[in-house]
Amino acid sequence: MPVTSRRVMHRKVLRDLRRRLPQAAAIALTTLLGVLLFVASYDSFRNLSVSYQQTYERLHFADLTADGGDPASIAQAVRDADGVARVSVRTQADVPMTIAGTKLVGRVSGLAPDERQRVDDIDLVSGSMPDHTQPREVVLEKHAADTFGLGAGSAVRVFDGESWHELRVTGVARSPEYLWPARDRQDVLSDPHSFAVLFVPQDNAAALTGSPGPNETLVEMSGQATTDERDQVAGLLRSAGALHVQPRADQASNAALHEDLAGFSEMSVAFPALFLTAAAIAEYVLLTRLVRAERPVIGTLLAMGARRGAIVRHYTWYGVVIAGVGSLAGVLLGALGTSAVTIAYTSALHIPDTVVDHRVLTAVVGFALGVGIGLLGALAPAITAVTTAPAEAMRGDGSRTVRAGAVARLSTRWTAVPVTVRMAVRSLVRSPRRTAATMTGTVLALVLMLASAGMITSMVHLLDVQFGEVDRTDATLQVDPGATDVGERLRATPGVAAVEPGMLAPAVVAAGDKSYDTVLAGMEPDTTMHGFRTPGGAYRDLPSEGILAGDALVGELGIEAGDTVTVTPASGSPTQVRVAGFVHEPLGTYLYATDETAGSIAPLHAVSYALRFSDTVSEDRMRATISSIPGVLSYTDTRALLRQADQYLALFWVFVGVMLGLGAVLAFTVIYVTMTVNFAERSTELATLRAAGVPIRRLTTALAAENLAATVLALPVGLAAGAVAAWAFLRSFSNDMFSLDLSLGWVPLTLAAVSVVAAAALSQLPAARLLRRIDIARIVRERAQ
Amino acid sequence: MSAPTTTGVRGGFRLEGVHKVYGTGEAAVHALRDINLEIPPGELVAVLGASGSGKTTLLNVIGGIESADSGSIEVAGVRISHRRPSSLGRFRRDHVGFVFQFFNLIPSLTAAENVAVMIELTGRGDRRDVPRLLDAVGLSDRAGHFPAQLSGGQQQRVSIARALATDPDLLLADEPTGALDVATGRTVLELLQDTSRAGRGVVMVTHNEVVSTIADRVVRTSDGRITSVTRNDSPADAAAIRW
Repeated sequence: MPVTSRRVMHRKVLRDLRRRLPQAAAIALTTLLGVLLFVASYDSFRNLSVSYQQTYERLHFADLTADGGDPASIAQAVRDADGVARVSVRTQADVPMTIAGTKLVGRVSGLAPDERQRVDDIDLVSGSMPDHTQPREVVLEKHAADTFGLGAGSAVRVFDGESWHELRVTGVARSPEYLWPARDRQDVLSDPHSFAVLFVPQDNAAALTGSPGPNETLVEMSGQATTDERDQVAGLLRSAGALHVQPRADQASNAALHEDLAGFSEMSVAFPALFLTAAAIAEYVLLTRLVRAERPVIGTLLAMGARRGAIVRHYTWYGVVIAGVGSLAGVLLGALGTSAVTIAYTSALHIPDTVVDHRVLTAVVGFALGVGIGLLGALAPAITAVTTAPAEAMRGDGSRTVRAGAVARLSTRWTAVPVTVRMAVRSLVRSPRRTAATMTGTVLALVLMLASAGMITSMVHLLDVQFGEVDRTDATLQVDPGATDVGERLRATPGVAAVEPGMLAPAVVAAGDKSYDTVLAGMEPDTTMHGFRTPGGAYRDLPSEGILAGDALVGELGIEAGDTVTVTPASGSPTQVRVAGFVHEPLGTYLYATDETAGSIAPLHAVSYALRFSDTVSEDRMRATISSIPGVLSYTDTRALLRQADQYLALFWVFVGVMLGLGAVLAFTVIYVTMTVNFAERSTELATLRAAGVPIRRLTTALAAENLAATVLALPVGLAAGAVAAWAFLRSFSNDMFSLDLSLGWVPLTLAAVSVVAAAALSQLPAARLLRRIDIARIVRERAQ
Repeated sequence: MSAPTTTGVRGGFRLEGVHKVYGTGEAAVHALRDINLEIPPGELVAVLGASGSGKTTLLNVIGGIESADSGSIEVAGVRISHRRPSSLGRFRRDHVGFVFQFFNLIPSLTAAENVAVMIELTGRGDRRDVPRLLDAVGLSDRAGHFPAQLSGGQQQRVSIARALATDPDLLLADEPTGALDVATGRTVLELLQDTSRAGRGVVMVTHNEVVSTIADRVVRTSDGRITSVTRNDSPADAAAIRW
């Protein structure tokens, strides 16, 4: 078989890459990580979306949930509307319960008798469905069953407003409405002991909650229904008398899970982009050096008539080969990552359906992205290779003539500064593109680290603000409005430091044609249990007239301070009330007013007490003691809520740790490649100094100072860019349920900076090894290659 | 223009039975074969030979940047044979200076800084001597110029000043005029001759017969062997030679 020039050139590519194996491997690894992150996060995002969708479809999750009015007639009004698949009505109400000795306000949710028409069905995981002829049988939602350790055969107690009823749990079920166990959008993060859901046959649900009949209308749209058809049905529900219509996107559990999915979706683009950009930069630096070293050869080839296209293709092949190897490995490992992430996620959240699918298109796009970026990084040096005139290229010796720039000329006057320091400064301007590459690598690594770290530090800050400054209680209670001496008993309880009465009322606030489902909280005018944090970060008092509203309502309802809104409590009539101002709180979007104002808006409300304990009390003992006070209907432990949040954060810390490590790898790759190129270009200088007996330690230090200078210079830019990226990342998570403000602090900034500098310092070790191994005799005989 | 002064006569060396082979088996190249050479201190020695005759290897072995496979080497009173080049940093720092054909200056440093950096990095010499060293090579007015702003001859003179900055006993120059024209080459040779006359040993590798006439002793090499060592009792004045 004849040896064609193409085969020879391919052989050259492989041999050249073998000579530069560590650098090529570092770039391939960065490409691998970029492609792996893309494939794993994008396919996981798609898998989780499909898993949710499958559960939602199988269990007929409502597209629209309407409160108020006459559900029977409302259901009739939409049953035959275009796009409607199923309609059902049910009774749903929050009632006092006692589960395993714990008092809480749980939820009773009615199950429509006809399974074929049931919307928001349940997925029985153990036991059996309740017999609708047996009024004392219920199914317990899985999260509560896990929290309290209950199963089929257990007993729970429910208060119907007049008396307690003991019920038998026939089974445990998962529900599409409670994949994330949230009472409502204001309670996305809650004490797991303060909420439970019981599924009860519809007729029994009405009786158990003391309701005259159904109070909700549920609509499932067909898979083919359009957005217009869904909007028309929502309009029909309102015109038929519904007080508030909640689309599926706003449903608390779905919205919380959607936030996570949004995170995956963003990660699948942003993080791979950082790695692939770093890989492209490193590849550009490596190939620029290769092309520069081979200029005389390229000039000779061109002079002898070699086609420019062939030479460009030859040098781009380097990029394609390195990126191709990295991308292929990234696709394969990404597929493994997809399965692992999807399964781990759906298991952790107890999602009933797990769909693990490896999409060929994602693999193809991931591979193409990796190779494309590699091609791009190699293209510029490849084109440079053929744009130089052959005669000029042949004269080249592989290194450029260094002309003194302004910085170099200026620094000649720094006679008091050691020459090695002057060398370090000048090395920055000696090869501006390489310096820019090192700095960009540093910036990318810091962006990756801070975008991840900012997420968790901001979450920690959120919890600090929420549970340190806004919610200043240790526990909150709901009590029987008829029990008059609860306040006195609480004050007399040992360990209780402060007690304040208050009120809570679910309500719908509306302005124009927009409405929002929330909770109206009434407190003492000079309450010490709650800090009202303004959007500016200051704290204010409750207004004597009007209400304070969560600032998410500015966007939700299009209102501003001084506007009048309509507040309709779940039990009561609409009231026009002035918005006195807004509060900016980390969790939830509430309405606040003095107990007098709130009482006038919602005369029928739940009576609550806010408690603060002395520092030494046992939380479990306080729960037991206070729950036993007659008239106490529920007990919510604020600290348990905090503990719950900390548990979720543990996963985030792992994520941040991984990202810090990956950021360091990213920084290492770019800095290592630029450093070795710097070393290669300066091997003659270094060999000369070694020949003259300069100790290796001194040379390593001088070289490290030069290489680290660009990294250190890039730190301020990287830290600022990282902070901006973290801010942008957090903004995408902020809504009416969470308000995430960026809080980085000095610790993560310092840690990120130290990690990058450490990675840069680590990349000097190979340089020191190269310096030790330098063949002085060979190099000083030749010009630098 | 005159070479820096030195005290006493120094820089002698002795090689006995030195062998050096590159590669193995059929690919083995005998760069040095049974080299026996003794040069007294203070002499200017020219090593003359064709390409591949082993003259640069000989220079590198004397300077301790390559090791011999066998034989004994003593330079400036220090026995360096059987020691690896990596362990000879201190020897080179204390006893030898190098001048290369392609100067090997650091492009980002000025002439003065290229000299000063050697003092800074080796801890030998005195930074205050830098102006004197540059003056000695006739470059006082180019101290602040970068290599790219200097001619080839000026760059080579800077490299000589750099080599002398640590006050070596022996100056080793590998084809110091190889990249220069006649006029600038002659200036460089004058410097080397002055350096030797000031009492420092100088070994200069060249393939140019005319250049070798300025040496006190001419060593001829061929195929890795020393073919002759000739004492030159009346070396030519470097300023007067032409080629």
